[in-house]
Amino acid sequence: MTSTLNRWLPHAVFAVLAFGAPLLLSDNRYFAFIAGITLISVLWATGMNLLYGYTGLMPMMFAGIAGISAYMTIGLAAIGWSFWGAMLVSSLAASLIGVILGLPSLRLRGFYFTLCSLVIQTVITLGFVYFVNLTNGDTGISQIPLPEMPGGGSLSGLAYDMVLAALAVIGTVVLTLIVHSQFGRRLVAIREDDGLAETLGIDVTRQKMIAFFVASVFASIGGALYAPYVGFISPRSFDVLVSLNIWLMVAFGGRGTIWGPVFGAVLLAPVPFLLQDYYTIKDVLYGLLIIGVIVMLPAGIAGGLKGPSRKAAPATLKPERAQ
Amino acid sequence: MSLLETKQITMRFGGVVALRNVDVHQDANETLGMIGPNGSGKTTFVNVITGHLRPAAGSLMFDGNSLIGRRPFAIAGAGLTRTFQSVRVFGQLTGRENVAAALVDAQRPLDAEGVAETTHWLGLDSRLDVPAGNLTLFEQRRLELLMRLVQRPKLLMLDEPVGGLSSAEVRAMIALLAELKTRNTIFIIEHTMKVIRELADRVVVLLAGEKIADGPPADILADKRVVENYLGSVDA
Repeated sequence: MTSTLNRWLPHAVFAVLAFGAPLLLSDNRYFAFIAGITLISVLWATGMNLLYGYTGLMPMMFAGIAGISAYMTIGLAAIGWSFWGAMLVSSLAASLIGVILGLPSLRLRGFYFTLCSLVIQTVITLGFVYFVNLTNGDTGISQIPLPEMPGGGSLSGLAYDMVLAALAVIGTVVLTLIVHSQFGRRLVAIREDDGLAETLGIDVTRQKMIAFFVASVFASIGGALYAPYVGFISPRSFDVLVSLNIWLMVAFGGRGTIWGPVFGAVLLAPVPFLLQDYYTIKDVLYGLLIIGVIVMLPAGIAGGLKGPSRKAAPATLKPERAQ
Repeated sequence: MSLLETKQITMRFGGVVALRNVDVHQDANETLGMIGPNGSGKTTFVNVITGHLRPAAGSLMFDGNSLIGRRPFAIAGAGLTRTFQSVRVFGQLTGRENVAAALVDAQRPLDAEGVAETTHWLGLDSRLDVPAGNLTLFEQRRLELLMRLVQRPKLLMLDEPVGGLSSAEVRAMIALLAELKTRNTIFIIEHTMKVIRELADRVVVLLAGEKIADGPPADILADKRVVENYLGSVDA
């Protein structure tokens, strides 16, 4: 009973904060908007965390998948689909496309997977630029209509923020359920040593594929809701820098913990808005942050707070020959 | 019928022949040992059998089914599991988490009582909540065994199970393995004769990828070719 309470209490606290922040900020639409973007970032970081934190894969095509879903949702809505139906279909389709594109790379591990995903992200971005009749190319799509509400009217303002808050909360709940499931155990085993996991009977490629699909659904739903919320998307909205920013939220906050990446998203998502007047140094700051995280906080803030990480003793002492 | 039967297994790395026409069979409940100098192809043989390498030629039957072309996880699921020459556990995870990872896709897992009994037998009761990377090498070797035994394998292949252990630990490990062979069918690779002599019912000798002898340990020790090519030339 206590362990159940302990497991879900943080989610209750987070839910209060997620729904409360836009409410408190609703007088100032600009701040409320930053809160909304932060909530989308929480959803994205949580999805990325499933791959980077729990499976040990660094998917640099994450934003690209969100983009496919965003463009597809807008396209379907433009030809008369309901936004919500379009979002559902697009999210599943984008995740499937992601898995198919990712299929060759899912057999790779570590750095090689990351490189391969970087190439895939580049191809997706080029696709957004190239297929002008679908995406309007570099010009982007502006004045994206808001999602309709059941019973008429359109979803806007505080109501939209509440939907984003709900999805951010659902995202963390889903991740928690996964982490404590048998599926979660398999993923952690793969992250720690995929060869050993395979020897213990775990179908590594298949489990990676499922994890990749689930994380892509997180990316896709975030992408579909991002587009009407901001009202404008272009290939730049979903380029490799966006993937890298989401990765940074996970790494900075603490990969492989439920709340570290949420914290990372809350800290980092508002930064570009707060630094708007110092536009030019924004990228420098991000670069410094990436280096700082890698050098000083390899386990992120959550890992740092947890005290010295459970470092493995060198079990690789060269075995002296028994005799 | 043999539990494990390889016929004419050949494995090449580029132009190097690592295994040439190796025939090995093992019956259930028989403890088979494999010895040979460094580089003779012992680990390659295990890698071929457990699906980590695909042989260039030959047939490979386990429990009535061919293993050729099957992936390691599927072979583990069929009841053939192995350990690694350099000890391999999930270092950041606790012993308990390591065991849980071994149980998650086990096809015939031990029940909780059996897991507790085996843990106790291996003397790991008080060590399960420690990150596996902080365990001593001998403890890690036993944890490795525990992770295999909870899967109730039909055949357990041990690649140098006493590698890196102190001589007292080697004796303790041999005692454990002597009891283990009454519970499980095991296949032991060893670099040295000592372990093999005490545990194996039958021994296969590899030299430069070829099987040069196959028989009871006493016969192997007396075999002139083995003595000349291996025992006499290496500090075994």
